[in-house]
Amino acid sequence: MGVFRIEEADRPHLLRLLIIWVVLSIVGILAALQIHYPPYDQSVQGLDQSRTLALLTVLATPVFIGVVIMVLYSAIYFRRTTTELVDGPPMLGNTPVQIAWIAISAVLVLFLAVFGIVTLASSNVAQAVGTPGRSIGQSGGQTGSGTIGGTGPELQVQVVAQQWYFTYRYADYGGVETTHLYLPVDRPVELHVTSLDIIHSFWAYQLGVKADANPGVDNIFHVTAQKTGSFQVRCAELCGLWHGHMADSEGQVVSQSEFDTWIAQQQKDYEVISKAVPSYAPFYFPEPLLKAG
Amino acid sequence: MAVRTRAYEADAAAVAALDTRLVGIGTWLALAADIFFFAAWWFAFFYLRALNNNQAWKAQGVAPPSRGYGAVVVVLALATAVAYFVGSRPAAGAFLFRLLTPVALVFGLATCLFQGYELWHLGFGLTEGGYPSVFAGLSTAWVIQFGLATAWLASIVTQAGPAGDTVARRQPASFFAWILLFLAAIGIVNYILLYLVA
Amino acid sequence: MVVPERVSERRLSIPNNAITGILFAIPGYFAGVWLGTLFGLNDDQNTGVILGYIFATVAFLAGVGFLNYPFERLFGWRVSPLTDPDENRGVGRFFRLSLDHKVIGLQYLVTILIMLLFGGIGAMMIRTSLLVPDSSITPSGNYISLIGLHSVMMIFITSAVIVGPFGNYLVPLMIGARRMAFPRLEALSFWVVPPAAVILAAATFWGGFPTGWTGYPPLSEQASQAMDSYIVGFALIAVALVTSAINMLATIIGLRAPGMTWTRLPMFVWGIFTTSILGLLAAPVLAAALFMLTLDRTTQTSFFLASNGGSNYLWENLFWFFGHPEVYIFILPAFGIIMEIVPHFARKPLWGYRTGVVGLFGVMLLSFFVWQHHLFVSGIAPVLRPFYMLSTELISIPTGIIFLVTLGTLWRARVWFTVPMLFCMGFLFNFLIGGVSGVYLSDVPTDVTLHGSYFSMAHFHYTIMGGEIFALMAAAYYWLPKMTGKMLSPTIGRIHFWWMFIAFNSTFFPLFIVGLLNMPRRVSSYDPALVGLNRWVTISAYFLFGSMVLFAANLIYSWFFVARPALANPWHARSLEWQVPTPVPARNFERVPLVVAGPYDYGIPNARPVADLGGVVGATGGG
Repeated sequence: MGVFRIEEADRPHLLRLLIIWVVLSIVGILAALQIHYPPYDQSVQGLDQSRTLALLTVLATPVFIGVVIMVLYSAIYFRRTTTELVDGPPMLGNTPVQIAWIAISAVLVLFLAVFGIVTLASSNVAQAVGTPGRSIGQSGGQTGSGTIGGTGPELQVQVVAQQWYFTYRYADYGGVETTHLYLPVDRPVELHVTSLDIIHSFWAYQLGVKADANPGVDNIFHVTAQKTGSFQVRCAELCGLWHGHMADSEGQVVSQSEFDTWIAQQQKDYEVISKAVPSYAPFYFPEPLLKAG
Repeated sequence: MAVRTRAYEADAAAVAALDTRLVGIGTWLALAADIFFFAAWWFAFFYLRALNNNQAWKAQGVAPPSRGYGAVVVVLALATAVAYFVGSRPAAGAFLFRLLTPVALVFGLATCLFQGYELWHLGFGLTEGGYPSVFAGLSTAWVIQFGLATAWLASIVTQAGPAGDTVARRQPASFFAWILLFLAAIGIVNYILLYLVA
Repeated sequence: MVVPERVSERRLSIPNNAITGILFAIPGYFAGVWLGTLFGLNDDQNTGVILGYIFATVAFLAGVGFLNYPFERLFGWRVSPLTDPDENRGVGRFFRLSLDHKVIGLQYLVTILIMLLFGGIGAMMIRTSLLVPDSSITPSGNYISLIGLHSVMMIFITSAVIVGPFGNYLVPLMIGARRMAFPRLEALSFWVVPPAAVILAAATFWGGFPTGWTGYPPLSEQASQAMDSYIVGFALIAVALVTSAINMLATIIGLRAPGMTWTRLPMFVWGIFTTSILGLLAAPVLAAALFMLTLDRTTQTSFFLASNGGSNYLWENLFWFFGHPEVYIFILPAFGIIMEIVPHFARKPLWGYRTGVVGLFGVMLLSFFVWQHHLFVSGIAPVLRPFYMLSTELISIPTGIIFLVTLGTLWRARVWFTVPMLFCMGFLFNFLIGGVSGVYLSDVPTDVTLHGSYFSMAHFHYTIMGGEIFALMAAAYYWLPKMTGKMLSPTIGRIHFWWMFIAFNSTFFPLFIVGLLNMPRRVSSYDPALVGLNRWVTISAYFLFGSMVLFAANLIYSWFFVARPALANPWHARSLEWQVPTPVPARNFERVPLVVAGPYDYGIPNARPVADLGGVVGATGGG
């Protein structure tokens, strides 16, 4: 450690700081681990996000505490005690320390980036059986060319957004259009999010799903629910007058048999309407919007 | 550095040199900003063309306007820039300068008129897809800038009298050639995109 | 310098002041509306309204006197020389077109503080509406109009709040110049801001625009004529950014005093330099995007309509290509302020000058490569996301450098706890939270939950308000004695700091939790379970507003009522701007100074004073 020559005057300060930092960091990390991070565990993807949030908090805590105690320590121990102005020691910099700081932050950053990419990829492993190479939130997106009805065991559900509500079409059930979203538990679902007018964002909070609904775009998002129960749906992209009311708390994750009963009922209830709506497509182009009101 | 230390109030040459230096820096900075402006349009061109949403990059019956006519506009713009560039070089004498700047001005005005006429008679409606949008927008943005440059060129001509500003500040005035050349070059790129690649 | 005889002595006799500007602007507006209605391609009024705003602005600028110079040139008349600041004294100079950078700085300061008041009142109305979980206080439509006005007004302000007043006033003083490189451009960068603010406020007459500051089409194409205010106002701010950037960069490159080498440049000037590069290159992209939106709304082209060959992603990409550098336009001068002020009060040299400059440039360069992190869930091609996740997280390395340099400067210092120093420390705390929460948003899986929620709203308020505005306060307490000649009361200053610091954190920290608990941004009705937290935030926000009122009171009190004239160098700082007398002479320096040492050489034995003010005899520095 020849390069890091620690000056005599620095030693007591560094020792004190190190002890305070270690103690507070341990306390902080333990506290951070007590928090239950949204969006909890209703879906595989949500659990991934919860865990990532926990990991980020655990990593951020020592960094945060380190900088804060440095600032506070300087404020307490390095304040001027004399009445007249005195200059501090002329330290112009310390290259090894700077390099070490940059190296440590680079390692942290690269770890975070690699971890994020692995999480993205593993969400794929966790649920996308039979559709290799797909990660959460993947889309035909900018290419504008979505596909209809995948071949895998994934349930295809289309989310159709318009001002100011969401409807859902089940491709495997004749494209029946429903007003609430029901999903079977433990079955991978491929959500195809699209819009009929302007940009919306489909946010199913408890499922850890957020995907923008763009006109003329099929935005694909994978989710696998692992617990039954209800979930909330909201619009998360400002979409005009009633954006704040574009919500639905009656989303349900149900067992496969309940789902089958429900979808059969829906097909019966909406039979007439199903004939009137356009046939199922990756996205729709309604009559051109009138611009600029 | 040398320029700054020598810039005495009494030393008119040093003040003029500093003036020239600042105008030079400003010109290059302005061109750097402008290239980003046009890059945004070129991005829009390639992006919408690649997406071809709803098969509506070009609606039925939409074709680029006459290539020959477009070429005339670009050649006129280039002629403006080259005429001014040649006339405003320090090596060019006062005679050449007085001869070529009005010529450049005439070319510049012709460029604006020809481009304006084309935009007024496009042959397709602006609502007919992505290509008409980009064509109208990019050409308009370009001709507005070229028009403003032509107006400045006119003021250089009117100030070219024996005691006018252009003669007093001949060196800074020569930087304006780069702006005209830049706009002409942008015009060439636009021509390639809008008429040839389409 | 011998002025050669001119051909003609005729001058355009437009008086150059704000009143004629306003008198010209009103008929200008109606002329534009008339022309737009004449040529408008549709029966909507957008063409007229947009042309009205543009004509009004041009007429205003003509009334202020901007067109005298080009028209006199064009007519072949004698061109006006740059106004001599010696002739331009008295209170009236603040209401006229002045080419003196010191006058422009103060014009900017007052204008922006007035705008800040309106933006702040907007924030209070928003928070008041959120006292109840339904839309009973503010109806939904009014609420999103408020959101739009507050956000865009604040973006206008924060784009210019440091560069405008402090950059314009201080950069020539700090580099030893007697003027700016392009005073007309500099003045233009100020005089387009009041019209931009007025045009934005005019949106209320059309019922407000519904899009927030992002202006996403197709929503912004459905919107009423209020959207035209957004377009023209934002375009004027783009003009201000570009003109200001060209002037600042040319000044810093071309007008440094002899001996003011690049390694002696104060950090604040480096902050302005890097932020100007961003403004120079990013704002034109916004201008192009706004032009496309204008065409879509007036001539019915379809840049952003998917059904007609356009794409809303085009706007999202262009807007955020501008929008993300834009937020670093806010923060880079703030970094500069922190690294500038801390050494003077730590009484120590900056710890790692070159590293700090590298940090600023690192942030600047990387900020051009991160914009798609705003689009992680929008349906962009998935292969792009790891790249933008990485580039976004990489920005924390140069940002960390800024912290390192500041902390290293504080190490074993003799800290003089003045009000500016308190605000610098407040900045470090707030921006740390802002930066760390930014990492949460840069990670794609967590961004899926956090995007568009109050978490991201809390994040950017921590960086902009907790960061930039705290740095602004530090700058105000530090430099206003030089700019106004009056010390701000340090006692009120201390109360102001603690009040603002506590109220700020009490307002915005709970919003992280609110965001994690499923509250999206920009909604007036929310989950009733969150009403307790929201009420807490609203009450805190009132206190935060109160602290800003206290600042305004301190400013007015010390500026106009209590004559407590500032010394020329009340902080005993080394840097060049403190070596000139207060009030600053019309031409800044009697002679162009000869800079012989760096600005932060505290405690260095036998350090020379920063400059020889006897200077280079008769040098003009571009005079």
